[in-house]
Amino acid sequence: MKKILLNRDFILFSIILIILIAVGFANPLFITPKSISDVLTDTSILIILALSQMIVILIRAIDLSVASNLALSGMLISLLSTVHPELPVYYFIALSCVIGTTLGVLNGISIAILKVPFIVTTLGTLSIYRGLIYFVSDGKQVYSNEFSEDFLALIHFKFLSLSFLFWLAVVVFIIIYVLLNHTRFGRNLYSLGGNPDAAKYIGVNENKYIIMAYSLSGFFAGLCGYLWVARYSVASTQIAIGFELTVISACVVGGISVMGGVGTVLGCVLGALLIGLIRNALPAVDISQFWQLAISGAIILLAIIINTKTEQRKEKTIMVEN
Amino acid sequence: MKLELKNISKNFHGVKALQNVDFQLQENSIHALLGENGAGKSTLVKILCGVYQPDSGIINLNNKQQSIPDPSASLSLGISAIHQESVMFDELSVTENVFIGNHITKSNGLVDWGLMQDKTNQLLKDLEANIEPNEKIKDLSIAQRHIVQISRSLIHDADIVIMDEPTASLSQKEINELYTIIRNLKKQDKSIIFISHKLDEVIEVCDDFTVLRDGELIKSDTIQNTNKDQLITYMAGREVNQIFPKNNVTIENEIFEVRNLFKKTQFKDINFNLRKKEILGFYGLVGSGRTEIMKSIFGITKLDEGEILFKDQKILIRKPSDAIDQGIVYLSEERQQLGMTGLMSVKDNINMAVMDRNSNFYVMNKLKEIKNSSAMQEKLNIKVSYWSQLTQSLSGGNQQKTVIAKWLSTKPEVLILDEPTKGIDVRSKSAVHEFMGELVEEGMSIMMISSELPEILGMCDRVVVMYKGLIKDILNVKEASSEQIVKLASGES
Repeated sequence: MKKILLNRDFILFSIILIILIAVGFANPLFITPKSISDVLTDTSILIILALSQMIVILIRAIDLSVASNLALSGMLISLLSTVHPELPVYYFIALSCVIGTTLGVLNGISIAILKVPFIVTTLGTLSIYRGLIYFVSDGKQVYSNEFSEDFLALIHFKFLSLSFLFWLAVVVFIIIYVLLNHTRFGRNLYSLGGNPDAAKYIGVNENKYIIMAYSLSGFFAGLCGYLWVARYSVASTQIAIGFELTVISACVVGGISVMGGVGTVLGCVLGALLIGLIRNALPAVDISQFWQLAISGAIILLAIIINTKTEQRKEKTIMVEN
Repeated sequence: MKLELKNISKNFHGVKALQNVDFQLQENSIHALLGENGAGKSTLVKILCGVYQPDSGIINLNNKQQSIPDPSASLSLGISAIHQESVMFDELSVTENVFIGNHITKSNGLVDWGLMQDKTNQLLKDLEANIEPNEKIKDLSIAQRHIVQISRSLIHDADIVIMDEPTASLSQKEINELYTIIRNLKKQDKSIIFISHKLDEVIEVCDDFTVLRDGELIKSDTIQNTNKDQLITYMAGREVNQIFPKNNVTIENEIFEVRNLFKKTQFKDINFNLRKKEILGFYGLVGSGRTEIMKSIFGITKLDEGEILFKDQKILIRKPSDAIDQGIVYLSEERQQLGMTGLMSVKDNINMAVMDRNSNFYVMNKLKEIKNSSAMQEKLNIKVSYWSQLTQSLSGGNQQKTVIAKWLSTKPEVLILDEPTKGIDVRSKSAVHEFMGELVEEGMSIMMISSELPEILGMCDRVVVMYKGLIKDILNVKEASSEQIVKLASGES
């Protein structure tokens, strides 16, 4: 029982419930099914990106370029759709994923082969990918009326009165869950992040895993590129700017250790949900807009403190009582 | 013959770690690899594990010549090492640690957790170990971790298992359990290389032995043909071929004393004193608690109980700066990590601990800094190519001198040196020794942790011998024999 209570995912889940109840008291409209379904839809992209960021953080790295990758992939397919509106939507989705993966592979190669530290690489590509959007779009926006109907329709599809975005996030959750818990690839990611030297002893090829992790991160950034432009019906140079920090904080709140090798897929989703909840709840309880950013930051910090306090390191032992 | 090493040599920056060493492991036997710290055992093991490449020599496995270019090659040749240091994954389960890098997959490509769980359970049962496959490694005791590592090597189908001091921090009950497991392994046709400092257990468990000393093969034979005293002589006996420039100084009154130091799970009943102009040695196996005591005295970790007296007055040290203010400084064993900032110049490193003394109202006085560092540089003969050379580009010996210079700048009265000559070349080594002699002549008192017996015998006046967090004895070096010290340090007598 004590084990369950001290489980990080359980604590996070409790924090989410408490916030939900508290906000519900202040504004009962917030906890209607409709409103909750909106929050879920709103958080879906964050969940997908947090899950793919988790793969990278597990091996003691970070991908700062995800938001720029998302924006560049989104812009490229938007521009293509204005020229070729007749192409089917899955074509755009696939293309967006391919572009995203390519950008991710470039990150991976820079880190694994060229040995540029991950923080420098992805900080660099954050600017490069964002800069390329200006280049390809001439700084112009693609407006909602320029997209084909087909391009925007998929996103409004609903099942059991929950949105396409939400169901997609569920599918991604299941895929990543299986990948990290039930494949050799996933388990080796944990070992590589948990103890890189020991992982080399058992023959894990570090470079291969770095490139794979960044490709996956890029793939999902590309996927979210389509989702983002389709959901907001606009592609501009400014979309998702700074969103990489929200994604990383979702992972950290979710208990994915930046020291690598620690974290659960469920925790990651809960972390994203907590952040999505706070972002949606603060306006609902009439907190001044000027305060919202600071308060959401404070709540995130508090959640991390509560969460990490539950785990403490042990000292090594020299004397043994006989 | 299971495994045969011929004429293996390995050098590290001019230090001869192994010289033309031969080693033979018989089929289905337990072979003890003996020697003091620094004798070359770990180097030999690391060569077998593919971590190091020998400079010369041949490795024959099952009468076939093999090369072991990397750790995974070693694994696939059926060699598996159970290390002292952690090569485990603390956050992962027992099952996963057993199968790590070797996960069983179902036909659909997914990991078969159920089967792995069952196999682990069976293995642990066969080994008569009471461990839950679901537990995380971080929740296990050291003995249990060893057993998990043993299970791992069984899963990898290793037929040579190397155990590096597997009983080092186990209780007697756990040790007996481990013996049972080792004997079971032998019954399963495994060959075992067993490294231990406990000679009683070596005689009890092993079939053959090989003794290394200073990187050279001293003796290899079957256990039946030897006894404990003989083994100790093989390990400790050495010609005095190093000259220690210990000057004759008159030791004065007591300056420093500790009473009943105690820290839970680390050490207890620690009592010793240090006299002015004395060099007091601390000898013991790696991990016997020597460093931990010094860290507590210096205020890095907190003591649970005990008092420290300096010049007959009780002093309270809560943090390192308290100790430095009193005139007590500690040179860490981990020079690179804790002693210096590699990306700063030699000058800046030397002045790091005395910034307050070299500044006026928080503004650094460059002139004072330059004066201090050039004086130190001259005194210690630190060789730099240019004025602002980065410390990390210096040789190990010059780095160590820089760290010493940093602490000497604080003008200490008590100097604690933790393995001051570890991993530095012979010439710098004797420079450090010479310098220690000068320091005590000038009135300083030194406590020196060392795992090298000749260094202890050559430099110290008295030696504190430690074993598992306890002081076994404090001996006068002139009257002590090396056999006696080795015996005490391995918990005998």
